[in-house]
Amino acid sequence: MWAEKYRPRLLNDLKNQKEIVEQLKRFVKTKSMPHCLFAGPPGTGKTTAALCLAHELFGERYMDAYMELNASDARGIDVVRTTVKEFARISTISKVPFKLLVLDEADNMTSDAQHALRRTMERYTETCRFILSCNYSGKIIEPIQSRCALFRFSPISKDDISSYLGEIAKNEEITLGPNALEAIVSFSEGDMRRAINALQSASSLGKKIDEKSVYKIIGKVTHEDIKEILALTLKNEFIEARNKLRTVLIEYGISGQEIIKELHSEIFRIELPEKKRVKIAEAIGEVDFRLAQGADEEVQLSSLLAQIASEDMQK
Amino acid sequence: MNGVLEASTHKSGRQIMATFGIPWTQNKYRPRHLDDIAGNKEPLISFRKWISSWEKGIPKKKAVLLYGPAGTGKTVTAEAASRDLNFDLVEMNASDNRTTASIGKIVGTAAEQSSLLGKKRLILLDEVDGIDSRADRGAVEAIISAIKKTKWPIVLTANDPWNPRLAPLRNTCLMIQFKKLGLRDSIPYLKKMCEKESLEIDDRALKFLVERNEGDMRSIINDLQTLSTGKKTISYDDVTLLGWRDQKSNIFEVLGNVFKAKTCSWARKAIELSEVNYEMLFEWIYENAPTQLSDPRDRAKALQALAKADLFLKRIRQTQNWRLLSYALDFMTAGVAMSREHTKPGWVKMRFPERIKLRAKARREKALRTSIGRKIGAKCHLSTGRSIQYFIPYIKQIFSNKPRDSKSIVDWLELDEEMIEYLKQ
Repeated sequence: MWAEKYRPRLLNDLKNQKEIVEQLKRFVKTKSMPHCLFAGPPGTGKTTAALCLAHELFGERYMDAYMELNASDARGIDVVRTTVKEFARISTISKVPFKLLVLDEADNMTSDAQHALRRTMERYTETCRFILSCNYSGKIIEPIQSRCALFRFSPISKDDISSYLGEIAKNEEITLGPNALEAIVSFSEGDMRRAINALQSASSLGKKIDEKSVYKIIGKVTHEDIKEILALTLKNEFIEARNKLRTVLIEYGISGQEIIKELHSEIFRIELPEKKRVKIAEAIGEVDFRLAQGADEEVQLSSLLAQIASEDMQK
Repeated sequence: MNGVLEASTHKSGRQIMATFGIPWTQNKYRPRHLDDIAGNKEPLISFRKWISSWEKGIPKKKAVLLYGPAGTGKTVTAEAASRDLNFDLVEMNASDNRTTASIGKIVGTAAEQSSLLGKKRLILLDEVDGIDSRADRGAVEAIISAIKKTKWPIVLTANDPWNPRLAPLRNTCLMIQFKKLGLRDSIPYLKKMCEKESLEIDDRALKFLVERNEGDMRSIINDLQTLSTGKKTISYDDVTLLGWRDQKSNIFEVLGNVFKAKTCSWARKAIELSEVNYEMLFEWIYENAPTQLSDPRDRAKALQALAKADLFLKRIRQTQNWRLLSYALDFMTAGVAMSREHTKPGWVKMRFPERIKLRAKARREKALRTSIGRKIGAKCHLSTGRSIQYFIPYIKQIFSNKPRDSKSIVDWLELDEEMIEYLKQ
């Protein structure tokens, strides 16, 4: 995948995030750094920054002193703890006196797990530095925040995205129509990974990418289907709406949570009496909560659709 | 217990078997030799290595614990090995009373004594996770001491070896994991079997059968046997209908009670009347509620009641608190019945709950997505969940637009055939 192929290897190649890069370069120069917290939306360079930092700190064989763990995949804090223990125990023959451990999606950890993590961070602080990365720093407990240097990654600017896409296009020998580039950039919403993935998918339609092929891809990967489900519901074609929902859930494999998210934002976009929006939002919130408890996605979502249809009728 | 008489009064799928004798899985198609066992190549290699090490004297690990889901070939492995090597099989399973004394007596003596005719022995302790902690007090200790003393190989089997009570066994035994059979291992095996039975079954039907039984060979073969009674060709529809055919006439009556009831108790009668289990009943009601109660207001209420029933069912599954079941049943019967306010009476055709057919497929695809996501995550520094979300939609586009470009992605991620198939859809 191009998103991986064109991931910057050096701090200087990072787009945007100038202040962050300057600070990280100082860490490399002095061979010392605090624990860090990288916060920001997806595709803004958090993992890339950590990888570049490791690369420049430890050189080519950085994998000996660098490790990534994903809080969502590692089952529970015990796994994290033992992995960290194993990792921190073995010292390296390196000029840098510490190892680097990146804990991705740290905001997905429960606060209990975070407290346990805090103790682990303290225990191995001599030999190991942590970089926690997350989308929302607010979900990280205070005691961890206060022990970390906070770096806020902002969405990548339109100019930076379009110039980078231009470089990739040149390298891959594809031509981009001017409107095509613009369409991808605006679709990406400052998320570089999303932009590159869209570019690569669009290129699978042909070496010349025009606006049309971009929209074709965008239509397929964004949730047009969910809009259609809502439209069918409001037209009082419930059975069709439910069938479509079934297809989306089972055949496209879109999770209930994703559908909920999309419905929620859609509710405020479509034409509806203002008061109904609030009522429907409440119902959506309830279903979201139930899904988190593990209830059946289709049953819950179709009950939500039925509710939306009946709310709409009562206006 | 499972005599002909009972089987003819309850005509549900599995019991029909009793009318034509012994299940294939217990006799005709039970693998007789280690080479006959389908799937689980690696575990079987480890097992062979261990069992053949006995020829050179007593190995370090004198017992082996074969563990894994039902119907993956654990017990059959021990039986086949004893046959292949010409050992006497001394067997003890969950239905035997496993107190210290009985284990000591049977296993202990078998383990220590040499056999009279000079024939070697293989001791099989089946389903050790079925040991009841109170009734079989000391059983685990007795097994450990038998393993210490034994002169013969001991094979233990378990579905769930992680039970804390079995901890001492885990340290003493060589652990070998058996996995569910995938399509690649099970389909050729089943096809050969069907050939021998001159049964014609289409691929889709066979695939569905494997998926629905989640690779449990015993239940797959049982289902095949059931389907083959009095028939030589089996279609996809036959397979999807297995298990509810005989209840068909009853279900409409039951649903009538739910959708037409004027009182709660009338609606709740459906449960007593129903010959299908409550989970199946839920599916029938859920499938038909929107068409039976077609006024949007009624429909919203009915589906809300079903959503609540679903929530209770989930809680029951999580907490094993079966007392909550009656509330779930109230919601799905009385709750739905009382939703009728605006819908005009009239006859509307009932439909078979379609999503039951889809569910096996959904489960398989979810597993596939997860394994693809894991592969992407390892390469792209992402969690499995986010890999699925951020990458799979785009990769699917590339696979469907330009199959030639997908080759490099296949190589890079080391995707297997099944994964490629999924991404191509």
